[in-house]
Amino acid sequence: MTTAAITPHVTDYKTAGAYTGQKGIWSWLTTVDHKRIGKLYLFTALFFFMVGGLEAVVIRAQLGGPNRSLVSAEFYNQLFTMHGTTMVFLAIMPLSAAFFNFLIPLQIGARDVAFPRLNAFSYWVYLFGGIFITVPIFFALAPNGGWFGYTPLTTKAYSPGINIDFWVIGLLILGVSSLAAAFNFLTTIINLRAPGMTLMRMPMFTWMSFVVQFLLVLAFPVITIALVFLLFDRFFGTNFYTVTAGGDPLLWQHLFWIFGHPEVYILVLPAFGLVSELLPTYSQKPLFGYAVVVYSGILIGFLGFGVWAHHMFAVGMGPVADTVFSLTTMLIAIPTGVKIFNWIATVAQGKLKFTTAMLFALGLISLFTIGGISGIMHSSPPANLQQTDTYFIVAHFHYVLFGGSIMGIFGGIYHYFPKMFGRLMHEGLGKIHFWLTFIAMNLTFFPMHYAGLLGMPRRIYTYDANQGWDLFNAISTGGAYLLGVAIIVFIWNFLSSMKRGAIAGPNPWNAPTLEWSIPSPPPEYNFAQTPEVHSRYPMWDQRASDVDHPKVNLTEGKSPEQMGIIMPYNTIKPLVVALGLVVMFSGLIASRDPATGGSKPVLWVMFAGAAVMIGALYSWLLSPLEPEHHAH
Amino acid sequence: MKGSSRLRRLLPYLAFTALALTLVACTGETTQYPNSTFEPKTELGRAIDDLWDILLLLGTIVFVLVELALAFVVWKYRNNKEAKHTHGNTKLEILWTMIPAVILVFIAVPTVRTIFETQAPAPGDALKVDVIGHQWWWEFRYPEYGVTTANELYLPVGRTVSFSLTTKDVIHSFWIPQMGAKRDLIANRTNYIWFTPDTAIAPSVWNGFCTEYCGTSHAFMRFRVFTVTPEQFESWVAGQKATAAFNAGPAAPAPSAPDSQPPAASPLDTNPPAQPIGPPTGTGTAQLAGGVAPGYFFPHESMPEYAVPQRPLPANISFTRGLTGDPARGQTAFMLGGCIGCHTVRGNPMAAGTIGPDLTHFATRHTLAGGTYPNTTDYLARWIKNARVMKPGSIMPTLGKGEYDPVLKRTAPVSLDDQQIADIVAYLQQLR
Repeated sequence: MTTAAITPHVTDYKTAGAYTGQKGIWSWLTTVDHKRIGKLYLFTALFFFMVGGLEAVVIRAQLGGPNRSLVSAEFYNQLFTMHGTTMVFLAIMPLSAAFFNFLIPLQIGARDVAFPRLNAFSYWVYLFGGIFITVPIFFALAPNGGWFGYTPLTTKAYSPGINIDFWVIGLLILGVSSLAAAFNFLTTIINLRAPGMTLMRMPMFTWMSFVVQFLLVLAFPVITIALVFLLFDRFFGTNFYTVTAGGDPLLWQHLFWIFGHPEVYILVLPAFGLVSELLPTYSQKPLFGYAVVVYSGILIGFLGFGVWAHHMFAVGMGPVADTVFSLTTMLIAIPTGVKIFNWIATVAQGKLKFTTAMLFALGLISLFTIGGISGIMHSSPPANLQQTDTYFIVAHFHYVLFGGSIMGIFGGIYHYFPKMFGRLMHEGLGKIHFWLTFIAMNLTFFPMHYAGLLGMPRRIYTYDANQGWDLFNAISTGGAYLLGVAIIVFIWNFLSSMKRGAIAGPNPWNAPTLEWSIPSPPPEYNFAQTPEVHSRYPMWDQRASDVDHPKVNLTEGKSPEQMGIIMPYNTIKPLVVALGLVVMFSGLIASRDPATGGSKPVLWVMFAGAAVMIGALYSWLLSPLEPEHHAH
Repeated sequence: MKGSSRLRRLLPYLAFTALALTLVACTGETTQYPNSTFEPKTELGRAIDDLWDILLLLGTIVFVLVELALAFVVWKYRNNKEAKHTHGNTKLEILWTMIPAVILVFIAVPTVRTIFETQAPAPGDALKVDVIGHQWWWEFRYPEYGVTTANELYLPVGRTVSFSLTTKDVIHSFWIPQMGAKRDLIANRTNYIWFTPDTAIAPSVWNGFCTEYCGTSHAFMRFRVFTVTPEQFESWVAGQKATAAFNAGPAAPAPSAPDSQPPAASPLDTNPPAQPIGPPTGTGTAQLAGGVAPGYFFPHESMPEYAVPQRPLPANISFTRGLTGDPARGQTAFMLGGCIGCHTVRGNPMAAGTIGPDLTHFATRHTLAGGTYPNTTDYLARWIKNARVMKPGSIMPTLGKGEYDPVLKRTAPVSLDDQQIADIVAYLQQLR
């Protein structure tokens, strides 16, 4: 077997402009094209990523030295709550969703996702939900109960204000988006794979996404139930979490973490999937131990549901429960370690090409390893009791979520940018971005290990001098500023490359999977002809003549009609349904009780929202997805 | 075991400094890291630290090997001309499935042993302390002795102390880093934790923290732990059991030793008396067994830097300088000004509130407001004047005349002028 050289097929393409459909704002509002929706997810999630990053910078500025008062205690609590909520629900999950949307149909050789209009609906619900939960911080009314929202602090008795209501309702709205999307991708992956693409021939990103969709479907109902209980407690006087009525505060914690721990894998497995695409491409050899990587991903997802109480070792569950959850947690280290070893073995003996994307992939391996090791350190309950709720934990999960998820996603963006926009990102700026990120990330988060083990609690808005924490915090704050610079470099690179990047061609990296067989950016119908798959790496394994055969997929600049391909109608209805849904929920907090500062439901707003939602939904369901097929 | 114990104690520093050479100069000095988890002062802390040493050692080895392997393959194949198309290797897969499994056995076995060791029932003769969490301060009760304190915990060294942890409101978490382990305070249930402070550490002071996010002033829910000799503890208990030292009715003049009370007679910029004082009224001069006078408390002047709050005076609460407080008038103001609705001063039948901290021996305390400020005249006067500016979200109302209450978002409804506050300060500083 030989390997083709990595030379962009630049000469084949005079412009980046394969036929990609309509233009204009209206076409974006009504689109049902998974690629455009993927881009919408990408832009929106990057925006929220910067909002969350800005919150982090203010947090670090406040903590840069002892006894600072840049922000008030009240506002700090809103900042750290929104930093966590934003990064988890509005940045990393939707960044992954951007790749799910853009890549899954391309990787499996499909025209679109199974339910294109539901897909649009998921995006609009995410956008409106994100706005709903983000806007209050500009009025210092943002949620302030932590991203984990522990009761009874978040019950009406201790948080009478409107802040927590935004959080409860916002997360319920976002849950609708995640669940709809998850069912959509499950159906897509199960049903729409091209002929010959068996499960064990699926690209690794699609595989890890497949696992993640199961996690979403199983985990989000749990948080939804927990949130509905809290919503009922806060609005309708029920007593699920009311301590004085005998409620058990731990009910919330169990429900939250049964969701919350799988959520960690929801955040990190897509990045693992991306890296498993990047490393083979830039090593020009197949992923080492494909089957084992698949099984380990499934195992991580499965075990992820049996470890939730390791977030709760300090609540006093007793030695037996502590032991069980400790051991199940340790077990997860095995499939995770296996993944890391297989990645390293993939790089070994490869023909390495150190693109920015490759650097981010290698960065993920090195940084996530640190997060994994510190994770094992607090899987041991006695040790955990010295670490939990200190900055050691903050260090740990930033190595997992920044060192894991974000590094993988950045790598994915550099890798797939040419497929999305037809142009390459600037490699020089990319490498500056990588090294700044890598250095700043360690400067920011590594000292937190020390601060935590030297006794610094989490979630404190300020700390006293003479505690031995000043130096570590000062370094962390400097690192956070540098990370800000790194992001500016990235955004500049991203925006300028969209306009002026070098033309990419269909497969600039000589990557092996199906999405690289079609023009960049892909035409709106994706594949001119449904591909037939004979191996895991069709682009490497097929004969060279197939790639260039016009009948296969390099048909350029033609509309679907010219190709005889039936496309779904654009429609505004999913957006209207999403808007109605969010208006309906907003009715709960449409007015404020001046006496308590709490929210007061306004019924007519809720009914108006419900009417819009139901009306638009009926209209959506009664209208056809696409023109009728005529027999050929 | 003995020979390796020094090595084990050094390990955390060795490994950590190896990972971050730039910080070499900063490690090693004990007092520089007063809340370190690496220098446990109890058997509980040592059990955890032993486990930590295993975790750190294995973790460091895994870290170094993985990063070296990654660096090696990247370096070795950086200019590789031809990729070798291997798809996998079953033997290798089995090998690197087994390696983490074996490492985990070495972690799991001591982990499980330590879990059961540290969560065994406390010895029957342990000193019992009830810890009650409040937003945002700590109530400590010694049921054996009928003593209640706030934000300051006295523990006799060498005797096991068993804590019963509950909360009056939201979830808090009780943590003294140097003593080892933390435990949550949860409504509708009681949690337990026990340990034995080393005999070598008396008398000394340690910092404690709330580590579960509990609302606005979570950062200001700290406490101090004084590990003292059994004799000092007996003396302290005897002093705390007594009713308040200052026991005069509104009409009576200030009793004992007015000359030694600088706060009552000097401008508001002095510290409270630093010496442990003699027997409070009510216990007479009876000596305890062992010849220790009752009324010991940790000397103010012996407080190490790390235990004295450094938070500056808030600039936006002004206070008239040079006022002299009168403790007798202060007691009246204390009773009429609403203070007694929340605070207990045993010996004063009117002052029996239980919402706020017990103030019976307030002047023996070293800090204010959940360990946020030093207990000195300047801070105390401003605290009474506008607690809600001093400590965001505080239940303690804003009391100063014309002061803006940030919770009610209007001028304080109750209003004490600066003279009345100075009087109350003088009164409180006699409660010991």
